Amino acid sequence: MLVTWNYRYRNSPMDRIDPRARWIFSFAFLFSVTQTWNPLLLGLFFASALVWYSLGRTTWKETRRGWMLISIMLFSMIIVNTIITGGGAGGVVPEGGRLVWPEGFRLFGWQVNYGLTVERLWFAVSQLMRILGISLLFILIPYTMDSRAYGATFSKLGLPDRLAYVIELSFRFIPSLARSLSITLDAQRARAFELDQIKGGIVKKIGRIAPLLIPLTMNAILSSEDIANAMDLRGFGQRKRTWLYQLSYHWWDWVLIVFSALMLIGTTVLVQRFGMGPFAVPDWWYSLFSG
Amino acid sequence: MEKKSIWKFGTREVVFAAIGAALYAVLTYALNFLQMPGTGNVTIRPAIVIPMFFGIAFGPVVGFITGFIGNILADLLSGYGFWFWWDLGNGIVGLIPGLFSAMIVDFKAGKSILWAELSVLLGSGLGMGLAALSERWVSGADMNTVLLANFLPAFLTDIANGLVLLPLLMVAFASVVHRSGRG
Repeated sequence: MLVTWNYRYRNSPMDRIDPRARWIFSFAFLFSVTQTWNPLLLGLFFASALVWYSLGRTTWKETRRGWMLISIMLFSMIIVNTIITGGGAGGVVPEGGRLVWPEGFRLFGWQVNYGLTVERLWFAVSQLMRILGISLLFILIPYTMDSRAYGATFSKLGLPDRLAYVIELSFRFIPSLARSLSITLDAQRARAFELDQIKGGIVKKIGRIAPLLIPLTMNAILSSEDIANAMDLRGFGQRKRTWLYQLSYHWWDWVLIVFSALMLIGTTVLVQRFGMGPFAVPDWWYSLFSG
Repeated sequence: MEKKSIWKFGTREVVFAAIGAALYAVLTYALNFLQMPGTGNVTIRPAIVIPMFFGIAFGPVVGFITGFIGNILADLLSGYGFWFWWDLGNGIVGLIPGLFSAMIVDFKAGKSILWAELSVLLGSGLGMGLAALSERWVSGADMNTVLLANFLPAFLTDIANGLVLLPLLMVAFASVVHRSGRG
């Protein structure tokens, strides 16, 4: 089995931004955008997410798999729950409202009375801006952040050395564990183990995984004992750890960090002091459905 | 077997947590094709037993890190992005069994397996419950959506995997510990 990271250097603006600044911006964005349903603020957040995404210079071919997952999520949340059933709008959109088709409409000769309101339709647009905005930021991470940077990044962000080293170490274990998985799978297949076409219910499918899962897990545990001993012998954890991957802030990283802080503080103030948190429908949206 | 503090996080725990996270990621990535019968996109995800087992065997810190970092790595490998609340939920799926680890001395004893099965139910309920509830905050979804579309598919597959596979791993681990003299 081939396990590869999706990251590659693209010489993009995103490649020049320090990973710490990127994480700070991403989390500031997440905590800002989830505070509000205000159309103006959501529009601004969505626009900034689009700009951010464009800095990564990723291609559709690369990110297709991630977008498929997000499309399924958006479809079930927005199309099914908000537009078709109306359930997804509960708690945010007030009861009642103006119907999009007050007289109903005819479909294949049938009269359809569908209670979709203008407010619910705007809520679907708001949900799309919010979820897609968050997705645009976070889907970019595997494609644009060097896997060697994670341990050093979180250590410099204040995570204890031992925890940061767990991240570093787990990245290193992945290729060897993928190889062990292939070897175990081949060995079990030689004993007529069938994984590709397991028939039957869920319990049967789960049970059939055991011949692969158990030897792989036990081998991994046994080998990790030796690694732990080797690390102890080299004095692991006795002093502050240094990192091979070096990080350095540039002026634009500081601009991004200050912008992230202002974005979070500004949104909180606008929501708490100026009432820009609750759901609202812009007037121009109503005018699209008048007459 | 001598029992130690469940919150210890020394060199062994660092390595176990790292190997658990990597194992969870690789297995999730490799077994993504196993779909639940009758559903469009819900994978069976047998790898979820890894954080549960590492929690039971090595304590709550190792269990939590295995689930939390393992899920991040699996999403990085698959190209799905970064979903903090679901990562946290997977961490809790490993953390709760870890809280039961103090009660488990003999990994193949019936009572130990019962405790472990109970921890699977609690851990999956809390972990997937928190992750699913985050969708109310992040996406503005209502409780029905949270329950039916987010919580139940994840919770049911997690407990099915845990209840079937965790006892098998525990019995195998008991033999490994006995044979190798490690504990």
